[in-house]
Amino acid sequence: MGNLKNSHLIEGTIWLTIVLVFFAFTYDFNQPIEIYKFGATGWPRVILGILLFVTLGNLFHQYRFGSAAQSGRVGISDDDDEADGTTSIGAVLKIIAVLGTPFLYALSLKPAGFYFATPFFIVFIILLFGERRPRWIISITLLIYALLLFLFMMVLNAPLPQGNVSPFYDYSAFILRMNSQFQQLDLW
Amino acid sequence: MIENFLLGSSALFGDPYTLAIFVFGVLGGMLFGAIPGVSMLTLAAILLPFTASLTPAQGVMLFAVIYCTGTYGGAITAILFNIPGAPENAPTAFDGYPMTRKGLAGKAVGAAVLCSAIGGVASALVMMAATEPLAKWAIRNIGPPEIFALVFFGLAVASSVGGRTIWKGWMSVALGLIIATIGQDPVGGIDRFNFGFSDLAAGIAFVPAILGFFAVSEIFVQAEKTARGRYEAPPVNMEFPSFFELWQQKIAVIRSVFVGFFCGILPGIGATLAAFMGYGEAVRWSKNKESFGKGNIEGVISSETANNAATGAAMIPLLALGLPGGALTAMMVAVFQMHDLEPGPLVFYNSPDLIWVVFAAMFYANLSILFIGILETKTILYLLKIPFQFLAPLILLLASIGSYIGRGLVLDVMVMFGAGIIGFLLRRSGYSIPGIVLGIILGKIGEQNFAQGMQMVHYDLFDYLSRPVCLILIIAGTLTLASGLHKAFKANPA
Repeated sequence: MGNLKNSHLIEGTIWLTIVLVFFAFTYDFNQPIEIYKFGATGWPRVILGILLFVTLGNLFHQYRFGSAAQSGRVGISDDDDEADGTTSIGAVLKIIAVLGTPFLYALSLKPAGFYFATPFFIVFIILLFGERRPRWIISITLLIYALLLFLFMMVLNAPLPQGNVSPFYDYSAFILRMNSQFQQLDLW
Repeated sequence: MIENFLLGSSALFGDPYTLAIFVFGVLGGMLFGAIPGVSMLTLAAILLPFTASLTPAQGVMLFAVIYCTGTYGGAITAILFNIPGAPENAPTAFDGYPMTRKGLAGKAVGAAVLCSAIGGVASALVMMAATEPLAKWAIRNIGPPEIFALVFFGLAVASSVGGRTIWKGWMSVALGLIIATIGQDPVGGIDRFNFGFSDLAAGIAFVPAILGFFAVSEIFVQAEKTARGRYEAPPVNMEFPSFFELWQQKIAVIRSVFVGFFCGILPGIGATLAAFMGYGEAVRWSKNKESFGKGNIEGVISSETANNAATGAAMIPLLALGLPGGALTAMMVAVFQMHDLEPGPLVFYNSPDLIWVVFAAMFYANLSILFIGILETKTILYLLKIPFQFLAPLILLLASIGSYIGRGLVLDVMVMFGAGIIGFLLRRSGYSIPGIVLGIILGKIGEQNFAQGMQMVHYDLFDYLSRPVCLILIIAGTLTLASGLHKAFKANPA
């Protein structure tokens, strides 16, 4: 097994699975293109071949040297090597929560809309980053929310998700109605 | 040339309305360039209908100015928060952000300001002097085969930067390339790898991927540090780079001007590859390679000089041949057409006043980056004093909105957060985030030009390599890969 560890084998397996899954999916669009000899699959299959080769090369490197960085490598940030060190269960849960919260927010955008979901998201992130003073949490949440509404709704008129479930949709409609009434005031 | 430049300058500064449009373009480009995901393209798209009420010179000049200052604007957030305002600022973050973490944000932003101005001014001067001959050379010698060869070379260089081992550098680039194949194939329009999601037919957009891999993964890294009690706020330092420090980088600046200018002339390549190649060449020629990615000022200087040097060059195919090199120059074609003009060789004869107002405006816009940028830097560095727990939700939300408004798809927000998690995990395992991003950006361009190039040479490899530019770039790229492979098999742990 040389210097291979279980983590290397798991890493290699993930990459090989990516190659296999993508290769299998190339049969979904394996159609000839009249004006192009290599068809729609030619380019992706070559890249998958390259990925397979470099994955095996990486495993071979790990077999010889383990996780050690190759000498003379450039552009590796000091921040990029945080895998070492012990972490408490509380910290792991907190990291998982930080990774999961944005996903839940993204999932909530379609049904609940940007205007409703955003203040809750801001509060959660501030809490997850360790802030516990209620006055600060509320004031910063309102400040960020107001800033985003001003910039993207009032200045840029950006079409943000409004939600498709009542009462969230109604809330978004209320905010947008307020905005249009405000813009009709012609303050300038 | 000098007489024409003076005439253009007097037309620009002699009319208060034109001058006001110029100032608006300078400030607007900087501001929108600095907002992640929104970018100068958003501003240009918003302004496009209004250009109908301007003169052709004012309209084209406004877009040219936004292009110059917007390219610089994205460097600020790249350096301060690891959030490139646009793809062309991504390499700036490689060393700019580590400099911020070390308390050298002032030096990084100062270098970006100065070198963006130098790159842009140099490019504007060459553009004024040589637009017509350079455009003629480019149209004769550069086609899809050459663009593919340049992409190949660019990716070969990119894979040698970042990643704990060269294998991981290559895996990162290959991952980016495979992500770029998601969506319709560029020749037949056949759906690939959409996994049942119809929204994926349009492919993975650059902006969500870049914001996810850079900005969101950075938030996750800092969250992990906070959870483990290892987070330290970056010290704020207003110190600008000294003249001596910048003078030491003169070769890097000159090299990046050439690299940026060459990339800028090529249609569809533009400032993004210019910045990556400027950075890659800086690493290649440096005696202190290991310091890149850890806060080497040369990294900031090279990418910012190169991307601004590409802006003037991108105007050459547009003005001389009517070929837009990217999205913003394509909008400029629309401005010409709104005024019943066609960009191309005849513009030089029919509307020389327009051409020289634009040239002069680009020159002064790049100069103004220097003065406004220095003033802006002094204030913007105070953003670093905001506690991270308050900055994190703002960054995540700006990134979310930036991802969403490009195509109006919630899927893009999910892609961004997914890219953030993948980026976070890959960074921990020593993979190269810049390599993935460049693979995504260049994958589609590479495939499209490969397909067109192969059709042009009738799939004959010898015919392909008989084109001198192709031969040089393919040999250079192959040597880069071969050297990497040689090192990989001889590799010793650091």
